[in-house]
Amino acid sequence: MLKKDMIEKNPLGAFSADKSGNEIAQRLGLVAARAGIGKTAILVQIALDNMLRGKQVLHVSVGENIQKTKAWYEDIVRDIAGGGEQEKSAIEYEVMRNRMIMTFNESSFSRPKLEERLNDLIYQDIFRPSCMVIDGLDLADIDRQTLVDLKELVKEASMNIWVSSICHRDTQEDPAGAYGDLFDTIIVLQPESNGDSKIFLNILKDDTGCVETGKGLRLDPTSMVVWGTTF
Amino acid sequence: MIKELEKIRNIGISAHIDSGKTTLTERILYYTDRIHAIHEVRGKDGVGATMDFMELEKERGITIQSAATFCSWRDHDINIIDTPGHVDFTIEVERALRVLDGAVLILCSVGGVQSQSITVNRQMTRYKVPRVVFINKCDRTGANPARVTEQVRDKLKLNAVPMQIPIGLEGDLEGVVDLIKMKAIYFDGDNGEKIREADIPDHLKDEAEEKREEMLDAVSMFSDELMEAVLEGEPTEEMIMDAVRKGTLSLELVPVFIGSAYKNKGVQPLLDAVVDYLPAPSDIKNTALDLENNEEEVVLTSNPEDPLVCLAFKLEDGRYGQLTYIRTYQGTMRKGDTIVNSRTGKKVKVGRLVRMHSNEMEDIESAGPGDIVALFGIDCASGDTFTSPDITMSMDSMHVPAPVISLAIKPVDNKAQGNMSKALNRFTKEDPTFRTFVDHETGDTIITGMGELHLEVYIERMKREYNAEVEVGAPQVAYRETITQRAEFNYTHKKQTGGSGQFGRVAGYMEPLEEGEYEFVDQIVGGVIPREFIPSCDKGFQASLEKGALAGFPVTGVRVVINDGAAHSVDSSDVAFQLAAKGAFKEGYAKAGPVLMEPIMKVAVEGPTEFQGAVMGSINQRRGMIIGTFEEADYTVVEAEVPLAEMFGYSTVLRSLTQGKAEFTMEFATYRQVPKGVADEIVAEVQKKKAAEKK
Repeated sequence: MLKKDMIEKNPLGAFSADKSGNEIAQRLGLVAARAGIGKTAILVQIALDNMLRGKQVLHVSVGENIQKTKAWYEDIVRDIAGGGEQEKSAIEYEVMRNRMIMTFNESSFSRPKLEERLNDLIYQDIFRPSCMVIDGLDLADIDRQTLVDLKELVKEASMNIWVSSICHRDTQEDPAGAYGDLFDTIIVLQPESNGDSKIFLNILKDDTGCVETGKGLRLDPTSMVVWGTTF
Repeated sequence: MIKELEKIRNIGISAHIDSGKTTLTERILYYTDRIHAIHEVRGKDGVGATMDFMELEKERGITIQSAATFCSWRDHDINIIDTPGHVDFTIEVERALRVLDGAVLILCSVGGVQSQSITVNRQMTRYKVPRVVFINKCDRTGANPARVTEQVRDKLKLNAVPMQIPIGLEGDLEGVVDLIKMKAIYFDGDNGEKIREADIPDHLKDEAEEKREEMLDAVSMFSDELMEAVLEGEPTEEMIMDAVRKGTLSLELVPVFIGSAYKNKGVQPLLDAVVDYLPAPSDIKNTALDLENNEEEVVLTSNPEDPLVCLAFKLEDGRYGQLTYIRTYQGTMRKGDTIVNSRTGKKVKVGRLVRMHSNEMEDIESAGPGDIVALFGIDCASGDTFTSPDITMSMDSMHVPAPVISLAIKPVDNKAQGNMSKALNRFTKEDPTFRTFVDHETGDTIITGMGELHLEVYIERMKREYNAEVEVGAPQVAYRETITQRAEFNYTHKKQTGGSGQFGRVAGYMEPLEEGEYEFVDQIVGGVIPREFIPSCDKGFQASLEKGALAGFPVTGVRVVINDGAAHSVDSSDVAFQLAAKGAFKEGYAKAGPVLMEPIMKVAVEGPTEFQGAVMGSINQRRGMIIGTFEEADYTVVEAEVPLAEMFGYSTVLRSLTQGKAEFTMEFATYRQVPKGVADEIVAEVQKKKAAEKK
C-alpha cells in the first residue's frame, strides 16, 4: 500500500481535522480499555497516522522497553503496508524518521521528568513533536494535577496528546471518571457482547468535532488493525 | 591424557566491556591453583592480569584476543576462553562461542544489562550456548543484583533464577546465602580462598526462605520428581541441582550467581556452578558436513575411538611460530598423527601438542573429544576443519559480518614493507573480519574491518609484533553505490582499426534489486548474441560493478537483464562483448538514478541521566536518528542510528561531554542512502582527489 493509501484508509485519521477540514492542533485524548484489549495497538495506529502525514510523534512508554515498543510499529506497518520489500522499508524509514520512543521504568516516570526531557528535545532542536502518545498509565494512579498539566502542555506546545489507561471493572462505563472534563476525546475498547469475537472501538466523547459521539469501529481482535474500517 | 567426557567443561566468559571478565578469570585461575599470585588488570604492580598477555591489552585494560586457558576444579577439566567485551571484536566472541559448550555471562551489578551484553546474549542464543549469569561488582556503590536479575528477564528474555542472595551489599558485602543448601557462605583468608559455611544471619532468614520458594517454583518446572518433593515439603539438594542442570541445558533456565571477583567473593560457588550446571561435551549435539556425501549433515559422536574431527578456531603468532588453537569434537589426536585440512586437502603431521594456560603452556601427548588444545607449526586459516585421512568432513562455516570501514596504510621504508606483508598475512588468517587489498589506482594497501578500534589495534600490533612502521591515512567509510530506478541500455561496441575488428551490441535494462548484490538475467532469444558470448556480457557487467560512475565506489543491488543484441561472424569476440557490456552498463547506469549508500551504525550510549540531553544533542549533530531513550533511576540509555562517517572520534567527544561517565557501543545496522547534500560533498571530494592524483 502506498503512503497516500495508508493515510486515506486509516479511519483514525478522522481525528486529524474537523468536519470543515480544519486541522486539530490541540487535543487531550484518552484511549481506555481493560488489560489486554488493545490500547497500545490503537495508540500506535493514531501515532502512525500522524507520522505518515509527516508529523513528528513522541511515543512515551511507561514500563516497556524500546525494542518492544519498536516492534509494535514494525508489526503493524508490515501488516498493512503490503507490496514489495523496498516499499515496506521506505515506509518504515518514514515512520522511524518521525518517531522517537521515550521509555521509562514505572518508578522513574513523572510529569516533571517528562517535561524536562521534552524541553531537552525542543530547545536543542532535536525533535519537535506535534503529537505525543503516552502508553502504560493508569488513571487510578494519577492525580488531577498531572492531567491538568498535560492539558496545559497541549495548549502551550500546540500538541495532540493521547493517553492510554486501564479500565477497571467498575470504571468501564465511565473510564475517565472524575477527569472526564479534562479530555477532549475519549475512546473505549470493548469486546463485543454478542459473541462475535470482535472488539468494538467506541467514541464516548469528541469535543473537537471530528467524529460524532456514539460512532464506532469493529476490529479483529487478533490484529487490532483499524485500516480499511470506517466509522 | 584423555579425560572422561563428563568431566570436561569448555566455557566462555563474555560480557560488556569493563564488567570484570578478566578479573574474574584471574580469580578462577588463582583458586584452581594455576597461578600463585593475583595481578589486577590495571594493577599497581605493573604485571597486568595473566589472561591479558598481549602488551596492548595490558596497556588499555581491555582483552583483545580470547586467550584460551585450562584449569581443574573438583576433578573436572575446565577450558576457559576469555573473550573481548568490545563490539569491534565480536568475531572473537562468535568464534569462541562456536567451540564452547557453555558460558558464563558476567553482568555488572551497577551497570546491569548493557547493550554489549544484549549482543553477546544474542550470539549465545544463535549458537545455542547454555549459560549461567554472574552478577559481579556487588561491592560497588549502587550495586543492585535484584534489579539486574530483573533486567536479565526483561531485556535478555531469559528465565533468570537467583540461586543466591547477598549478605550485605556495596561496601558491606560479606558473602552470599546459598538458596539450595540454605547456608551462608563467607570467603575468608587474604584472597578469599578459605570458604566458611555458617548459618544464615537472622536478619536474612525470611528473605532467604522467600527467595528459595521462588527458586523452587521456577526450578521444579524441569523435574516432576522435584515438583512432587516440593509439594511434600522435602526436596533434596541433589534433586534441586539435577533440575537446575536440566533447565540450564535446555536453555530454558539461567541460574544467577552473585559476588565480587575483585573482592574475592562468590567465585568458588560460580566454579561449582560451572561444573554442576554447564554441559559436558557429551551433552551437546555437534554436527559436521560430509563432503563426500553431498554435504550431508553428520552428527559427531564424541567417541575417542572414532575418526578425528576438529576445528581450528584461533591462530596466534607467538614466540615459537604459529600456534593454532583447536577444539576436538570426535576421535583422538596424538602427537605424530597425520591429519588432513579438509579445506585445502593438505596433510599435516601433528608435532608439538600443548594445553594453554594463558601464555604459558604444558606439553601433552594426545587430545580427546571435547578438548581445547594448541598445535605448533601448522599452516591453516582460522575456521579450518582437520580430520583423520580416511574421512572428509567440514564443520559448518561461521557467520562472518562484512567490514564497514577501511584505512589506507603505507610502509615507511623497505624493511617495514616486508614486515607489513608478513603481519597482514597473519592477521587476515587470524581474523576473517579483517581484510586487506591493494587499490590498483593509488597503489595503497587498504585494510578493512569492523570499526576504528578494530583497525587501530591491528596497526599497533603491526608496530609492536612485526616492527612494521606504517603511515596511516584517515579512516574511510565503505560507501556503496546503487540505482534507484529502471533504465534501458542499447550499446554497440565497434572498432575497426585494420586487421580483425571488434563488434558487439548489448541491449536490455537494469533495475534495482531488492535483495542481493547483483543478478544477471539472460533473456536473449533467437541467438542474437551467440551463447558463448553470454558469459562475456556477464563478466563485463560484473567488472563495471567494481567502481561506480558516481564516485568510484562498488555498485550493489542491481539486476541486469539483457534481451537484445547483435554479433558479427568475424569481429565478435569475448573481449568485444565484455567491452560492449561495460559500455551498456555505463549508459544504463547514468539513467538509473545512481545514489550513494553509507553504512549506518546502531549506537547505544549509556550513562547517568543528567547527561541525556547532551548525549542526544551530540547524536543529533552527527546526522543521527534517535530511536529511543530508556530511563531507569539515574541511568539512561539512548539508542540511535548514526552514519559511520559521523562517528569518527566520538569516544573523545562523549568523554568530554559526560565527564567520562558515559560509554557507547556500536555495531553495523544497515546501508542507507546518503542525503543529497552530503553525497554531493563526497563526490566533489573524490573528484578533487582524482584530479590531484592526475597532476
